[in-house]
Amino acid sequence: MTDREDIDMLAAEYVLGTLEPAQRQSVAARREREPEIDAAITDWEMRLSPLNAQYDAVSPSRDLFASIRSRIETAGQNVSANIASLSEVASLKRRVKMWRSGALGAGAIAASLIIAVLATDIATPVQDGPFVAVFHRDDTQPAFVMTIDLDTRAVTIRPVEASVPEGKTYQLWIKSDQSGAVPQSLGLLQNASVATTKNLGQFDPAMLRTATFGISLEPEGGSPTGQPTGPAIHGRLISVEH
Amino acid sequence: MTTTRDLEKLLGQSINGDMDAFERLYHATSAKLFGVVLRILKNRAQSEDALQDIYVRIWQKAGDFQPGRASIITWMATIARNRAIDIVRRQRPESDIEDAEIEILVSHDTVFDEVVLADEVRQLEYCLDGLEDDRQQIVRLAYLEGWSRAELAERFAQPVGTIKTWLHRSLRQLKECLGS
Repeated sequence: MTDREDIDMLAAEYVLGTLEPAQRQSVAARREREPEIDAAITDWEMRLSPLNAQYDAVSPSRDLFASIRSRIETAGQNVSANIASLSEVASLKRRVKMWRSGALGAGAIAASLIIAVLATDIATPVQDGPFVAVFHRDDTQPAFVMTIDLDTRAVTIRPVEASVPEGKTYQLWIKSDQSGAVPQSLGLLQNASVATTKNLGQFDPAMLRTATFGISLEPEGGSPTGQPTGPAIHGRLISVEH
Repeated sequence: MTTTRDLEKLLGQSINGDMDAFERLYHATSAKLFGVVLRILKNRAQSEDALQDIYVRIWQKAGDFQPGRASIITWMATIARNRAIDIVRRQRPESDIEDAEIEILVSHDTVFDEVVLADEVRQLEYCLDGLEDDRQQIVRLAYLEGWSRAELAERFAQPVGTIKTWLHRSLRQLKECLGS
């Protein structure tokens, strides 16, 4: 059996659910750093998902959403607590709060491979200055925190819990309606253990406000195709409303 | 009836932190997702715990959804199924509900439009029908009920290695039949 067939069967059984727990966990972890496995899993999900039609709907207890809401709010506070040790956060939180209060209800972000941040209605009066986004690795652990100062158009990415697999590098992307459908590279995060600052002077601040950002894991030297090829780490605005 | 487009809109609003939109998304989809989890875990309390994890995850991963790749309900059901399989593979909960009881609880108040999926459903069913009877059954039991290789081995009185071989052959045959 070739490696490719191995991977395909591993992905198929992962989706089917029949892998042993340890193997299942290992596939889930490999999926994060091996695009080939991730793609094979997605393909198998597509092939087998029509079986979902066989699942009958059953109503859960009526009050369940209240628990979900409170867990989401607690998780948001934990994230805030995790990054509270980083410098500037107190003032950032204050500014984000101000920004958020004016920004809720703004238009939906175009969903895309890479996601994220800073959606607001351009017409909403927004104070320029730092904005903050958190890129999550998993449910609660932030991997990167990104701040943008719209006055100087400087973006700073601080790693919180990011490690770089050997032979890989993180790459930052931006996508907006104005710049077309495909993400544009903003360059590599050469050293994932320290903060990286990039100047986005070439972009209009109004465009930056509505753009989406993403960080993907790429081969050393960056994406070979000019488009994100590896698993992306996604960011969203942290909840600062306590 | 809530359309796929309505659900996508609610998810988009959730990305922006709109909890009310997320609650509407929950009410439109939770019965389907609960149906997935309950069928696999067969334990009501554990299924409700799992459902909470699942919606917290959906909230956090909302930005990952790519329209055009999978329908939103497929994307959500995949998250739900994955979570249920993770739980059942670690330790199958003590069953406190039978399939027959689940059937009685079925909510016929379909809140979203599954019609678009009809072609894909027919195609997969056609390909499943092409498998030998017991092979077809093991694929269905694994996918729909979350059976492990060991549980399938016991039911079909075969060594685990044979079940693995059957699974791989069946999956390859399905892939070929589906033409991708």
